Amino acid sequence: MKIIYSEIKKWLPDLKDDAKSVRDNLTQIGHFVSGFEEIDSEIVLDLEIRSNRADCLSYYGIARELATFYNLDLQIPEIKSFQFSESSIPITINSPDVYRIQATKISNLKNSPSPSWLIKFLKLHDINSINTLVDLTNYVMLQWGIPCHAFDLKKSSELIWENNQNYSEFTSLDGSKIKLSPKNLLITDSQKVLSLSFIGSENSSIDLNTTDSILEMAIYNPSRVRSDSRSLKTITEASIRLDKELDTQTIPLAFSHLLSLLITHCGAIISSQLLDIYPKVPSKITIEFDPSSPASYAGINIPTDFSLDVLKHLGCSIIKNLKSSLLISPPSLRKDLNLSEDLIEEVIRFYGYYKIPIDTPVDSQTLPDITPPILYLIENLKDQLLALGYDEIRSWPLVKTPLDKNAIFTQNSINSDYPVLRQSLIQSLKTQLDQYRRFKLPAPQFFEIGKIYFQKNGQYLEQNALAIYHYDSQKLESDLNLVAPVKGRYPKGRGVDSNFTEIILDDLPKPKKYLPTFSDSKAIELTSQIITLDANLNLDSPRDPLDLIKEYSTKINPKILWSIEIIDVYKNRYTFRVSYYNCDDKTAKKIHLSTFNLL
Amino acid sequence: MNLNQILIESKNKINSANTSAELENIRIELLGRSGLINQLFSEIRKAENPHKYGQQLNKLKKEVEILIANKSTNLPKIDNCKLKIVNSFSLPKVGHLHPITQTERQLNEVFKKLGFSFYDGPEIESDEYCFQRLNVPPSHPAREMQDTIYIKEPELLLRTQGSSIEARLLSQEKPPFKVAFPSRVYRNEKVNKSNHFIFHHYQGVVVDKNITLKDLFGTINLLFKTLYGPNVIIRFRNKYYPEVEPGVGPDMQCFNCQGQGCAICKGAGWIEMGGAGIIHPKVLKMAGIDPHLWRGFAFGLGLDRWVMAKYNIKDIRTLLGGNLAYKPNHL
Ligand SMILES: [Zn+2]
Repeated sequence: MKIIYSEIKKWLPDLKDDAKSVRDNLTQIGHFVSGFEEIDSEIVLDLEIRSNRADCLSYYGIARELATFYNLDLQIPEIKSFQFSESSIPITINSPDVYRIQATKISNLKNSPSPSWLIKFLKLHDINSINTLVDLTNYVMLQWGIPCHAFDLKKSSELIWENNQNYSEFTSLDGSKIKLSPKNLLITDSQKVLSLSFIGSENSSIDLNTTDSILEMAIYNPSRVRSDSRSLKTITEASIRLDKELDTQTIPLAFSHLLSLLITHCGAIISSQLLDIYPKVPSKITIEFDPSSPASYAGINIPTDFSLDVLKHLGCSIIKNLKSSLLISPPSLRKDLNLSEDLIEEVIRFYGYYKIPIDTPVDSQTLPDITPPILYLIENLKDQLLALGYDEIRSWPLVKTPLDKNAIFTQNSINSDYPVLRQSLIQSLKTQLDQYRRFKLPAPQFFEIGKIYFQKNGQYLEQNALAIYHYDSQKLESDLNLVAPVKGRYPKGRGVDSNFTEIILDDLPKPKKYLPTFSDSKAIELTSQIITLDANLNLDSPRDPLDLIKEYSTKINPKILWSIEIIDVYKNRYTFRVSYYNCDDKTAKKIHLSTFNLL
Repeated sequence: MNLNQILIESKNKINSANTSAELENIRIELLGRSGLINQLFSEIRKAENPHKYGQQLNKLKKEVEILIANKSTNLPKIDNCKLKIVNSFSLPKVGHLHPITQTERQLNEVFKKLGFSFYDGPEIESDEYCFQRLNVPPSHPAREMQDTIYIKEPELLLRTQGSSIEARLLSQEKPPFKVAFPSRVYRNEKVNKSNHFIFHHYQGVVVDKNITLKDLFGTINLLFKTLYGPNVIIRFRNKYYPEVEPGVGPDMQCFNCQGQGCAICKGAGWIEMGGAGIIHPKVLKMAGIDPHLWRGFAFGLGLDRWVMAKYNIKDIRTLLGGNLAYKPNHL
């Protein structure tokens, strides 16, 4: 929801804070301001409105929040007094999805292109101007958060709200065709579809020649609108409001505001009764509220006077004084206030989260350990494998092909090349090995501990598994013997050999408690192949090979040195094998030759 | 016997060899498949700190290899071919944990000190535990169909949030408890340089008597100070999540612009770090915990972006398999 700073000041004439402070305070009380920019010498704030606060998809709702925060009075827009006639309007409601509707007929319209202030206002809200009448319905929607619609009486003589039974298609205002489904909420004239609940059509649209119109403002069953909007793949300014819980009691105010504006700007005359059909009057909610509870939740002192002031300012009324608590009725606008915890949040957010100290973590007293032992086993195994020189990898749990008929498939993954949950970690490890080979990684040895998945007797199961790869299969076997008292399984398959093994961890004996210590180490994002080169070094007298390795490793830039070892010693000849990364072939060779004086 | 003693004794033995054959016997005794050092390796599991012990053993092994190699050059070479096996040398190979595991352990350390337990739950999860028990009923807008990978629609799915573990925890354990849990979660998103269908969450839940927002804020602040250093500036603001009330959004002041607003923080000066709050009474009630007796807090943060920044990983696909690697030795 975008709001223009100067426009919010019309609702709050006494607001003194500048736009930046308003932004920060709105964010603090729960309306995150994600955008803040100056357009056409106006400051526009873009608010992320939480999904249970449809009331704040309007200037009215945001102004009420700021009025409570700053303790200011709200200035409701000027509303003219007007008289309705006795004449009826041709409206029939045949759908249980209509919660409340107000409608009236207006005549004598002089519609025109919109005045510049209105065009600018809508443009700042990313809405195109059409003509004064239509633009004013959008203006009122942004001010009050409730969509409204005008129908040209010449084009449709009656309006029927019904759930779709007969119609197959609908052409929206912008000319796009929408396929209809059964039960879609429609407004028809019994011949053709005039409108959906959240988007109008050419069939009844207002143009500059419109002189007589039916105006309506309605709130519907939000689930119906949400499901229509989603199934018809159409989202509008109206649908994002109507698919949430809106306040039926705000309709009279907002609708009179619209009529006032039409009288002023289009010379409209009201030419019928005010129709008010209200089948879904909300039941009054009462909440038992202990004024000292906000303090107990926040962990700091919050005066009870403050709690009560906030609730009053929000429009809550005290129904009854109980012994140590109050019976509170929230305003109908606030559909999110149902429990005492909801009221507690109101008080604390207006008191200010920033007033709560942040330097005392939860009490560190030890409670009984409820850690599942398998987690200790996993940590312990990781440390053992680390000590044996293995690197941990984490791969995709989704793979391309099943191992057998017990595989579990995803139904709707958009990564459709990987539709199967892996039945063995080796499936993923193999992919990792392919990747390491592509980069010519010398002597790979790595492991993964993770879940594998399968079906058994109609159940969907998962197990914890460990899989290991070692470039030397004999070493793999002896290492597995060291870490676990079970035989590994060597699943068959293309490219899978005895360099891979896997064990299931769930049935292994588990340590009582094992908490590893944290140590940090660097990971490298390989971007080019690793280049491995040999060199012979002839010395006059024997040297400790490890000292030699250390000495020569310092001669090479660590940014390109991957590994260095001595692969053969004969008399005083030492054969080095050095791997380089992060550089091309040519550079590696050049550095290699100069390091070992081979130039 | 400690490892130093073993080294000294090995040295004496090796020095006492007079022929290559004698030396080879000693080599087998020490370094052979069922030799002394391999035996020590087999006991690694019982060590107090297997990681450290393993490193020490590797060092010992290398040292013994060098002693034997040096000795062999001084002995008459009759059967040189047999000694080929000890003719290569390298620094001890060191293994590495995946950056996500490293980060999880770093966080676990914080919560270990605060007396937390750790927890886990299934990745193939039911709609009930992934949504309903977290106060997200079937009609709730928070569960957009396209975000969830289904196994069997509508009841079985790949968990979309680590909070499903919270729902399991609450229904399985008796309060009071303090629990932290890293998790892998799934969203139905196309994989590319900056998007993935796998995410990593780290969450915590405390249920006890008289839990307050102050406890929550202090805990989260400690967590972020551990991750980002003592100078990090954290703010807490009101935020909506169905499973908590009151809800909290912790933000970190942008490290790039110090709050002035830049491209990284999209002009806000702050970076959103996750969600938290006091556990909603309906969530406790559904788990059979009386909200009049018990109160709890829950928090969660996504690890992926933070891990990528810390390890200077530019492509999110690198984080899961692919071209992530580690240098084999300490150089
Ligand atoms: Zn910034």
